[in-house]
Amino acid sequence: MIAVLDVALSVLIAVLLLGGGFWMLTAALSMFNARDAYSRVNVLSPATGLGMPMIVVGAFLQHTRIDGLEPGMLVKTLLTVLALIIVSSVASNVLARAAYLSAAPVDPRTSPQDLARPPEEGEQVPHSDDR
Amino acid sequence: MSIVLWLSVVLLAATILVGLFRVATAPDPASRAVVGDLVFFSGVGLIVMLGLIKGSAAAVDAALLASVLGILATVALARILTRGRR
Repeated sequence: MIAVLDVALSVLIAVLLLGGGFWMLTAALSMFNARDAYSRVNVLSPATGLGMPMIVVGAFLQHTRIDGLEPGMLVKTLLTVLALIIVSSVASNVLARAAYLSAAPVDPRTSPQDLARPPEEGEQVPHSDDR
Repeated sequence: MSIVLWLSVVLLAATILVGLFRVATAPDPASRAVVGDLVFFSGVGLIVMLGLIKGSAAAVDAALLASVLGILATVALARILTRGRR
């Protein structure tokens, strides 16, 4: 029974670690396909919001499998996952704002684009592919 | 298990290499900042994986500190992008 649990835990750890690395590599390769800096901010979020927490949780499970459960490490892992999710969302917001303020080029197909027009101008028509 | 650990290290190292290549070929500074953020988090993941391979629990602390303080690096990059304007 213990041996079966150990094998199941090993498979779970392998899936978490390899899946986390896969998300990071996918984000890095998708940076080539994104058309402007704002799409790249969007592409970054699976890496920091899903890939890194998977790696951290997998590392915690592996430490637990070898050394036994330590409450301090559990608290640290939960704090790390929470900080990663908060950091990734705040960092996306700050980076996108700074990119727009530094006049980074916007993909011309972006529509509607509320930031590029004065207020009180009426509703914009959505992009033709979206209708 | 050791193969899985080293395979994850290879994935993260490939992420860093691809990210650095993308930083070198990026069209505008904002894209460079975004990809630099990805390289930073890949480095944190690499520290966690090396802590697993060496059997050292200190890497968990390193990951906690890097994920909490990683926002400072991003905000600094954003301030550089806007030339100090908020």
